[in-house]
Amino acid sequence: MTARERRTRILQMLQLIPILSVLVILFGGALVMALLQSLGFAPWFGINTFPDFSYFGSLWGSQTFWVSLWLTLYYATVSTLLALVFGTMLALALIKAFPGKWLYKYLYKLPLMIPYTVGIALAVIMLSSGGVLSRIVAFAGLIDDPGQFPQILKTHYGWGIIAVYVWKQTPFITLAVYAVLLGIGRETEEAAAILGARRGAIFFRVTLPQILPGIVSSTLICFAFNVGAFEAPFILGGGFPDTLPVVAWRYFNDADYTLQLQGMATVVSIGIVAGVILFAYLWVYRRYERRMGRH
Amino acid sequence: MAGGNDTLSTRLSPFQKIYLLLVAGFIVGPFLPVIIQSLAFRWAWPELLPGTWWLEQREKSMLPLAWDYVLSPYSRVWEATVNTVFIGLVVTAICLAICLPVARLLARESFAGKSAFEFFLSLPLIVPEAAIGIALLMIFIRLGLAGSYAGIIIAHLIPTIPYMVRMLTAVYQGLGRDFEEQAMILGARPLQILWRVTLPMLLPGVVAGALFTFLVSTNIFLLTFFLGQGQVITLPTLLFSKISGGNLDTTAAGITLIVTLPGIILLIISERFIKEEAFGKGFGS
Repeated sequence: MTARERRTRILQMLQLIPILSVLVILFGGALVMALLQSLGFAPWFGINTFPDFSYFGSLWGSQTFWVSLWLTLYYATVSTLLALVFGTMLALALIKAFPGKWLYKYLYKLPLMIPYTVGIALAVIMLSSGGVLSRIVAFAGLIDDPGQFPQILKTHYGWGIIAVYVWKQTPFITLAVYAVLLGIGRETEEAAAILGARRGAIFFRVTLPQILPGIVSSTLICFAFNVGAFEAPFILGGGFPDTLPVVAWRYFNDADYTLQLQGMATVVSIGIVAGVILFAYLWVYRRYERRMGRH
Repeated sequence: MAGGNDTLSTRLSPFQKIYLLLVAGFIVGPFLPVIIQSLAFRWAWPELLPGTWWLEQREKSMLPLAWDYVLSPYSRVWEATVNTVFIGLVVTAICLAICLPVARLLARESFAGKSAFEFFLSLPLIVPEAAIGIALLMIFIRLGLAGSYAGIIIAHLIPTIPYMVRMLTAVYQGLGRDFEEQAMILGARPLQILWRVTLPMLLPGVVAGALFTFLVSTNIFLLTFFLGQGQVITLPTLLFSKISGGNLDTTAAGITLIVTLPGIILLIISERFIKEEAFGKGFGS
């Protein structure tokens, strides 16, 4: 390596410093600090019993933690799967030519452009017991009191939460799948059809393997987001026991500041659970890719 | 063969037509009652339309109602809008500045640990936001950054960097280095090359990345809410405080529509000026 080459190399590495300092110091630092605190390191509160596993012990030892974990994963999984199915169906429809397609290209991206809180507001006005659906049911003469309308929001079934996530994330998955579909063209599907493959076989054996990378990366992002989301379960959830992010937030805002360490143990638990699931997902996907002879 | 021909058809099947209508209803339908609610004074159950409209009560009331309230300083809508746009612009500018060199390096050079580095760059997308938010809050309280604009802007960089790097890397990959080399041979200085050659050619991709970053920043709720400590309000956190009780009253409906507006504007801008694939590149594996 000549001196000149070395100089450009060093210059290039210098350019990485800003991004690395944001990601390593803030993002990495935050995660390390969370881990340290959850293990009893908080000298600013006069607490330093590091390493101390009692915060994890009391958290994981309580029944409600496991209920919270179950609810968190249930909402995240169901809404990611629904968004995946709806989004893929929408992408498959959008690659066709139809009148008014330009309008649809605007319309389907709208939820992508606006905050989750708007989706929550829509869920409140549509699904609450005094909401639009309840009024329509009353108009049809099926009920005559808002109390008779089945409770959709603020239950542990989480229909409201799932509705908001699906509303917001279907466009996200559509966009990812649509971009891949545009890229692969229709030649392989045509070849399969000429060889006599049926519609279902074409989708599952020709189209799906090709859009799979887009599906995997977009569902990974959606699932991780859903696990860590706060506002929808906070407003639309069924209350105690809450999802893990809400539990962590409540610990953190408790007047008893020593509970903040318990909150940190909750935060680290969220990270561990999400990490394990996402790595398992990626591992299965990689194995599939290898079996298909890719990479 | 008949089934095959049907699949290959470039037109919609009847099922797809119905599906598209349902999707349209699901996505934009719920906005209709929000618009009605924002104009209502009294909308009792089970009426399908309000019994009393805002305009009927407007003169009789001493206090500003509905849109009069939403557009007045009391609602803090204007303050939240200015904050949202300001934070979004600063985040976009910083993000662009620190991501451009990285994208260039990733697109053109190979170095030891490159794939590990790329994986590390996309980590913020798959670490749950609540975990980052609460952990950062602890640090920011110590540093005195909690509740400040600087703190929120720094925090917004974390989820925006992965998208920006991906989109810019895709742009750099599409652009060969021949033009830059020619400029260099002709004696241009590095800054001149950047300003006169690289940036103009990168511009469409840079605009796409900047728009997307701005969009992500303006939509962030959790990090702003946790780290802003109620002292810095943006449109998403303002709406949250209005609906956290689980009700959507007249002013909350008006604020919902205001919070939707920037998204509609960005949607129109991005559809008019950005190619379909550019956004998609942010999501490729």
